[in-house]
Amino acid sequence: MSALLEIENLTKTFRTRGFFGKVKEVHALNGVSLTIHKGESIGIVGESGCGKSTLANLIVRLEEPTSGTIRLDGKDITHLKEEELRPLRRRIQIVFQDPYSSLSPRMTIGQIVAEPMRVLGGHSEAEIRERAETLLHMVGLQPGALARYPHEFSGGQRQRISIARALMTEPEILILDEPTSALDVSVQAQVLNILTDLREKLHLTYLFISHNLAVVKYISDQTVVMRRGEVVEMGPSDRILTAPSEKYTRELIEAVPMIGKPFRLLEDPAESL
Amino acid sequence: MNETAAAVRPSRWKEIWEIALRNKLTLTGFIIVGLVVLVGLLAPVLAPYDPNLMDIPARLQGPSSAHPFGTDEMGRDILSRVMYGARISIAVGVIIVAVSAAIGVVLGSLSGYFGGKIDQAVMAVTDMILAFPSMVLALALTAAMGPGLLNTMLAVIIVRIPMYTRLMRGQVLVQKEQQYVRAARTFGEKPFWIVARHIVPNCLTPLMVQMTLGIGDAILIASSMSFIGLGAQPPTPEWGAMISTARVYAIDQWWYAAFPGLSILITIMGFNLIGDGIRDILDPRSRK
Repeated sequence: MSALLEIENLTKTFRTRGFFGKVKEVHALNGVSLTIHKGESIGIVGESGCGKSTLANLIVRLEEPTSGTIRLDGKDITHLKEEELRPLRRRIQIVFQDPYSSLSPRMTIGQIVAEPMRVLGGHSEAEIRERAETLLHMVGLQPGALARYPHEFSGGQRQRISIARALMTEPEILILDEPTSALDVSVQAQVLNILTDLREKLHLTYLFISHNLAVVKYISDQTVVMRRGEVVEMGPSDRILTAPSEKYTRELIEAVPMIGKPFRLLEDPAESL
Repeated sequence: MNETAAAVRPSRWKEIWEIALRNKLTLTGFIIVGLVVLVGLLAPVLAPYDPNLMDIPARLQGPSSAHPFGTDEMGRDILSRVMYGARISIAVGVIIVAVSAAIGVVLGSLSGYFGGKIDQAVMAVTDMILAFPSMVLALALTAAMGPGLLNTMLAVIIVRIPMYTRLMRGQVLVQKEQQYVRAARTFGEKPFWIVARHIVPNCLTPLMVQMTLGIGDAILIASSMSFIGLGAQPPTPEWGAMISTARVYAIDQWWYAAFPGLSILITIMGFNLIGDGIRDILDPRSRK
């Protein structure tokens, strides 16, 4: 298994200027290294503000890293200009947390899902439409959805539309930034099942970001625990979530609220809640 | 909403019509503006007289069956002049708003999306223009360029641009942090298309509201300028210019100033009524 995405010593520092001009530095990400192999599913857990989302934003280059390198297939893509990056963008796609703001309210689902492929270029309208229909079917939506607007769909349906959009360019890596945390429990389980199916069918590599340990255990084979911009612990999910070696990881696991029974991370995320 | 429901939806125009029907005031606005536009367009057919035809013996006559709105000091038919005046007022209002909004949208988008030096430069000029009372600034500009309808329009356009720039900049600042804009960046959309395809359509609602209300305002400012004598020059049948000459006759010949004045009032009211209701029409969420 060769490394598909290598992250080395990645650091992101935000500088904010206070009221009296005093520069304040926030280390959102502090020397994070991570190697992702093809076909893997890696879960990243940690409390809010630990740098999980910053990591995702740096990988898709919505933000520029302060230092460190990101390599795709061994090629350094950290400082590529937007034009050089464009052809590589199709290989890494992202699904955001909030299903309500991630779809433009003025576009139909058909237009929204077609966007990534239209931007990529080189495909006819018919090809794009066909692929959009196929993907909508794979995430469990009817072709009739294409002519509708986002406000006509529920949160779970919108998140499935976001997933379909992200898959339009046949990406190898799909970054899922808390894709289920805005959804209620039954819908969460449904979206997670769809993600598991898709990974198998399309041979995808997942980077799954969440604060919910049960969800991470269900979806990923490797787990990375983060705290204050640094990696605390990483390894196979089974080990990390049952026999953690770090105190912080244990605290995280113990913090999962359970009612009436001793703590145990369940196989099915729907059961645990 | 069930996704299995059939994808049949009524056409866009039918939807707009249905939403307009739900709100009686908006509908009234549409009817008023529709009538004014129609009268303006069909003025050559509808007007009983040539608007500039003088008939000195019949000067300053009150409303009668021959002259429903009376005649002015040259014996010209006021009804015909008011009808031709609709053409001018609507054209002036629409052109001023279209041009100033177009420029304002471009400047505001650049300013909001790219920020930095461009933003500072654009906003400095914008704030400077906004600091003047708009009527006074328009007056000064027209006086500098020389009286005339075209110069008045140009002056009003310059005064109105900052409003749209401001509005657009604020909207863009909000929209560009939305996740759908970030998503567009992750699949490599170019900045121009991000603004044009993703941001601008989502800023349209407040912009259209401002524009519709702006047409009324523009007509009023242009008429005021003509009233002062800087805008349309005689014998152009412009409403503001007509009221200006009617000033002298206001006590004894009430109809001379009253009908052009009413026309201004009704037209502006029509645009304002539409402006109040247009938000519902443009919002995709208000469709069934």
